[in-house]
Amino acid sequence: MKRLSRGEGVTGWLFTIPYLAYTIIFFVLPFLWGLLLLVSEWNLISPVREFVGLGNLLEALQSRRVHAAALTPFKIMALFLPAVLIMSLGIAVLINSFKKRQGLLAVAFFLPYLASGVSMSLVVKGVVSYTSPVNKVISNIIGFVPDWLGTPSLAILVIALMIAWRFSGYYALIFLSGLQSIPGELYEAAQIDGAGRIKSFFKITLPQLYPALYSVIILAVGLMFGVFTEPYMLTGGGPNLATHTWYLEIYYQAFSTLRAGYASSIALYNAIAVFIVVGIVRRIMQAWGRAHGWED
Amino acid sequence: MERQKLTWPRFVRLADKYGVMILRWALALVGIGFATAPYLYMILQSLAPWREVNRRLIPSSLTTRSYEWLLQGSATAVARPWLRGFGNSVLVTSLSTLCMLVVAMLAGYALARLRFRGREGIYKFILFQMFYPAIILLVPQFLIVRYLGLYNTYAGMIIPRAVNIWAIFMYVSFFKSVNPAMLEAARIDGASETQVLFRIVIPLSRSITAVIGLFLFMERWVELLWDLIVVQEYPMMTLNVMIATMSGPYASYPGPLYAASVILTVPIILIFLVFSKHFTQGFKFILK
Amino acid sequence: MLTKKRLLTLVLVFALVLTTGAAAWANSAIFWTAPNPPQEVFWTEMAKRFMAENPEYNIQVFPMAEAPSSEATILTAIAGGTAPAASENIFIGFGAELYESAALVPLDTLEGWDELIAARNMEGAIKGWAFPDGHYYILPIYSNPILYGWRIDILEELGVDRIPETYEEIIEVARLAQKEGLFLMVRPALGMPTWWERWFDFFTLYNAISGDVPFITGSEITADDEAVIDVFKFYADLAKEKLILTQDIPDAFATDNAIWSELGPWTFPGWKEQYPEMVYGETFALTMPPIPEHHKDDAAGNTFADAKGLVLYAQASEEAKQAVWDFIRWVFADPAHDLLWMEATSLPPVRDDLADNPVFAEYLAKAPELVPYAESLAFAVPPFTHSDFADIQTVLSEEGLIPVVRGTKSPEQAWEDAKAAINGILNR
Repeated sequence: MKRLSRGEGVTGWLFTIPYLAYTIIFFVLPFLWGLLLLVSEWNLISPVREFVGLGNLLEALQSRRVHAAALTPFKIMALFLPAVLIMSLGIAVLINSFKKRQGLLAVAFFLPYLASGVSMSLVVKGVVSYTSPVNKVISNIIGFVPDWLGTPSLAILVIALMIAWRFSGYYALIFLSGLQSIPGELYEAAQIDGAGRIKSFFKITLPQLYPALYSVIILAVGLMFGVFTEPYMLTGGGPNLATHTWYLEIYYQAFSTLRAGYASSIALYNAIAVFIVVGIVRRIMQAWGRAHGWED
Repeated sequence: MERQKLTWPRFVRLADKYGVMILRWALALVGIGFATAPYLYMILQSLAPWREVNRRLIPSSLTTRSYEWLLQGSATAVARPWLRGFGNSVLVTSLSTLCMLVVAMLAGYALARLRFRGREGIYKFILFQMFYPAIILLVPQFLIVRYLGLYNTYAGMIIPRAVNIWAIFMYVSFFKSVNPAMLEAARIDGASETQVLFRIVIPLSRSITAVIGLFLFMERWVELLWDLIVVQEYPMMTLNVMIATMSGPYASYPGPLYAASVILTVPIILIFLVFSKHFTQGFKFILK
Repeated sequence: MLTKKRLLTLVLVFALVLTTGAAAWANSAIFWTAPNPPQEVFWTEMAKRFMAENPEYNIQVFPMAEAPSSEATILTAIAGGTAPAASENIFIGFGAELYESAALVPLDTLEGWDELIAARNMEGAIKGWAFPDGHYYILPIYSNPILYGWRIDILEELGVDRIPETYEEIIEVARLAQKEGLFLMVRPALGMPTWWERWFDFFTLYNAISGDVPFITGSEITADDEAVIDVFKFYADLAKEKLILTQDIPDAFATDNAIWSELGPWTFPGWKEQYPEMVYGETFALTMPPIPEHHKDDAAGNTFADAKGLVLYAQASEEAKQAVWDFIRWVFADPAHDLLWMEATSLPPVRDDLADNPVFAEYLAKAPELVPYAESLAFAVPPFTHSDFADIQTVLSEEGLIPVVRGTKSPEQAWEDAKAAINGILNR
């Protein structure tokens, strides 16, 4: 081991100073300020700040809007997760089956990730409007035009599919690199044992994809707690709070009714929810991984 | 030469040879169709006559009226500063991305390759930050920006987004994978740490920087929540926010909104395509 | 690749950008207009002319964003410490909220207020705008009675020769329209909790029955229960038979998809640009809001007034406030400017002499679709005054109107629930 040179130490600190300065101003300070906000009722403008103790936390616990926001991630997840897994796995397997032009295909399938949620919401708004060309086709088949954004389950479906569309190519690339790291001998061995394609997919491919699946699922679950743009643009959280999300509620309370403390208490609940849910999902995934011979 | 008859066994042989390939390409084309359909819809509708917007898939004729209205206004509408909004987006996104890259590269190199007291602590804190939900900080960050007088300024959009924890993490893993012998050789030649950084480390990380930068750029380009909160005046708004704020009761101009969306989306796609070579090379590292 | 030199240049550029904010110099001020294109046209033109006459001033005009409402934008700007010197588009309830946070300037303490009121002929109209402390914080600019448009050309094709006036008559006409594949009304807002939309679908009808019985007085609900339930029941009936559509058809009324729609005068400039075939008296007529049959004899016959004014923000610098105040006085001293306002925006200015001043009479003769608005000004009821207006109207939507339209609550139950929720806000 080399001795700790003085120059190296100084340079090390020098190089990390920008990061440290930022972290103090925009992470540590806001963190402390947030604690102060939690226990106050203050409208960001007024010179008066009232100490309310746990009042904000208790009020949020009873709010119907917060309950709705807490439920929405699970509703979206129930549709989003299967949709995005099927789409991205499908894309990954498809790209992997090509011998040439894999890069080109990866780039093409990645394009949706570049979309702005704002622009895509405009497109979807147009596509689901009553007289849209898409709805004309649908009403010819089923006899009526579905109320896409006015029916709670359909509104959730629309938002879930929008997000799935955007992330499918991105997740597909994670799966693709997972697929390519599976040793070919495993398949050969399985073939000798007489396993068919489908069987070897479930017996070999999926378990071997564990690291990729792990990252994709954790990413996807975390994403569900930060949905903002799509409902902000399309439904405003409606109908009847069916698509109301954590971020919408925090934004509404902080910047529409200016209740800074109350908004902070909702944000705290949001963080707790993320920790718990991601924690549970992580445990489940790790258990599954261990069952297939992966170390943590 | 006698034309061979397409008999059943021959068909099966041909299908065996080409069928899978054709099927694969068909699937790929359908998939790419889905992936790009919303973009094509947006472009078509931005060029459609106003009465056909959102009512016909393929416009009966093409017109640039939406773009003209957007950029020049009309007798009953003043044009919003859309081009300036585009400029704002470029400025904010590039500077933000540049800061994130520089900070992350320096910190990443230091944390991976330089030994100094407190290094382990900082690295652990970075891991903690990566999983800390940023939303809790939204309101206090807003208050700090206000306190610093950065509200409604470019700096208010750039500085609070000048550091990206994920990028630091990526650089740390990258520099850890660099062969230390190369750096040692330079040091033995008497190069200072800064010289090592500029002569060896930066050139070495070109590919990874392109990918990280691309990701940061793409994400910053379509940021909504923060930019929406920090800037309230049109001349300062990014293009994305300008479009988002046009959804009120008076905005029954879907054609021009699609035109604005095209102006927002096409450049980012072009940038991505230009860098796509680096992207396919460097992506695998990011995913590890 | 980044060289040292390039890096240095970039840092310099960055530093330069940081120091560039909204430059402030003497006689310079920022004025925010409503996010309505014609209003932007008017104020931009006014600022241009004002600065041409008074080159020592620099008035910058920006439309305010809707993020998600113009009110939220203003609040966030004040919270951020960067409110403009003045803005228009302030209704009395929002004014009350700003007043409670001490964010506004009492205009009557400024030099030249009395002269301004006299010059614009608004001694009568201004009275309703006094605040609890006796001062005036809002200078009312326009008052829009909300009227209802009927597609008379389509009614004629349907064989209807008299415009329906009661709920019952409307439902009958709507059924005829339904047979032809038309909707009575297309209004996606009926499914959304956006608070200000209730002005245009709930308060119009509510005021028609109850007149000026205030919805909320102080911190108590004083609404006419029966009137609220009547309105809810009307929407429930329309929704049950699918006579109204709560999905989006862009410009449904102008594109022959709906035959009935609430209309504010701000609609007309846009129509001139997009739908020139919409001609008052030929394709459409304007009426006051309908009422239920059983109130035919005792209904108040009012409608909702979307009345807005301008305010000066306390946090702006003294120079900016002075500059913008000079600008505002200059704008309203000349009736020709109000005429220009009307030509640009179609919105009726708040003036006592709107009906008898020849300047406006001449214009109204050329714009017959504005006459009904001018005539109904006297029957238009402004929004209720409470600083929690947004929250109150949000729960009125979520607990009241929206479940009624969706058919998940009876009108009575919905109003019970909404009242309970509103009381929760009032007693906060």
